[in-house]
Amino acid sequence: MYDLIFFLVLLLLGYVFGQRAEKRHFRSIIEREKQLRDILVFSERRIPDEDKLDGTLVCGSVVVSVDFFKRFVANLRNLVGGRVSAYESLLERARREAILRMKEEARRSGAISVWNTRLETSSIYKGAQQSIGAVEVLAYGTAVKPR
Amino acid sequence: MAEYENPVIPEGINVSPTHPLKDFALLVAGISALIIVTVLALSLLAGQLARHIPFAQERALSASLGRWLPEPPDSAVDQKRQQYLQTLTDRLASAMKLPPDMPITVHYSSSKTVNAMATLGGHVVVFQGLIDTLPSENALAMVLAHEIAHVRHRDPVVAMGRGFAVMLALSSLAGFGDGALQQWLGGVGMLPILSFSRSQEEAADSSALQAVLDLYGHVGDAAAFFEAVAERQSAAHSPTMFNTHPDVEQRIARIRDFSARHVKPEQTPATPLPAFMKAA
Repeated sequence: MYDLIFFLVLLLLGYVFGQRAEKRHFRSIIEREKQLRDILVFSERRIPDEDKLDGTLVCGSVVVSVDFFKRFVANLRNLVGGRVSAYESLLERARREAILRMKEEARRSGAISVWNTRLETSSIYKGAQQSIGAVEVLAYGTAVKPR
Repeated sequence: MAEYENPVIPEGINVSPTHPLKDFALLVAGISALIIVTVLALSLLAGQLARHIPFAQERALSASLGRWLPEPPDSAVDQKRQQYLQTLTDRLASAMKLPPDMPITVHYSSSKTVNAMATLGGHVVVFQGLIDTLPSENALAMVLAHEIAHVRHRDPVVAMGRGFAVMLALSSLAGFGDGALQQWLGGVGMLPILSFSRSQEEAADSSALQAVLDLYGHVGDAAAFFEAVAERQSAAHSPTMFNTHPDVEQRIARIRDFSARHVKPEQTPATPLPAFMKAA
């Protein structure tokens, strides 16, 4: 019985704090994306007018953790299949945050655009009972500024 | 550098628009319903199959699991008590026309626990705490007949079969999730088993009443044990063993109803318990 109460409290805490953190994070992401809109990001490998530009490697990485509630819902999803919407928003946050951090680094170096941008995703804590405890997303690319 | 456009990308295109709580509620309700139905079907099936296990096999199984049965009594008075219980049990067993290959072995325990139980292989355990609450031999016979009826109806082996099937199903299911999920699955899966044994208790009660009626010619004092329990429950804590038993008031009512339909208990006095049966 006490185990069940403990479990429900964990679930509630996970939900309340997880949702608050997610909402706050999305607000901050949208705000900073507006500020960095002038830095253009491309996946194209070949940089036009390469000879007139200076290139430098920039990267941004972020680690976001799953809350208890999301993990429980995703575990239930595991039994029946379907879209794991609990993790979709988590990965969306991680990708956008990683790109933002990369753009912030580009801004510091005075760059106007980032080329050949790539995203790498990896799960941390993979060993423990096959569950994803946290996810890391790394964004990297070549930032260029006029020579 | 060429001209590029940077349009504003709409929000929420990469995330399913379901509310997390709705998702959660649907999953929990759906999976719980599925588990309850599966476990119910499995335990019914396992119970039906377990009923066909020969009693000799059940005895052999209980011999390998019997470590928890109370030790044989060492003091003279305890041996006397065990002897008395065994004699009473044998009388009841012959009144209930138990098949000859279904012997009942009584184990006496001097523990203060107010309980008696039937387990695999025809072993019945009676605790001194129970005997102390009973006013007469008739009341003790009712409890013993109830436990014998469980053995006769094959309830212990059915319960074991059900429990085993449910445990196997749940542990193989829960293997997919983490610890919290396993805990939740275990809690949901145990619900049907509790409600099942109620019908077995009722069947055992009615067989026991018939046996007591056959042996003594009346069923006076048959409800004594439950009346004592009802008194204790209203006075203090409720013993855990009654969680799976039908409501005590209901059982008393059923026994009274049975005795009203048969010989009046006032005509014959109840047989007293021998003095050595009560704890000092």
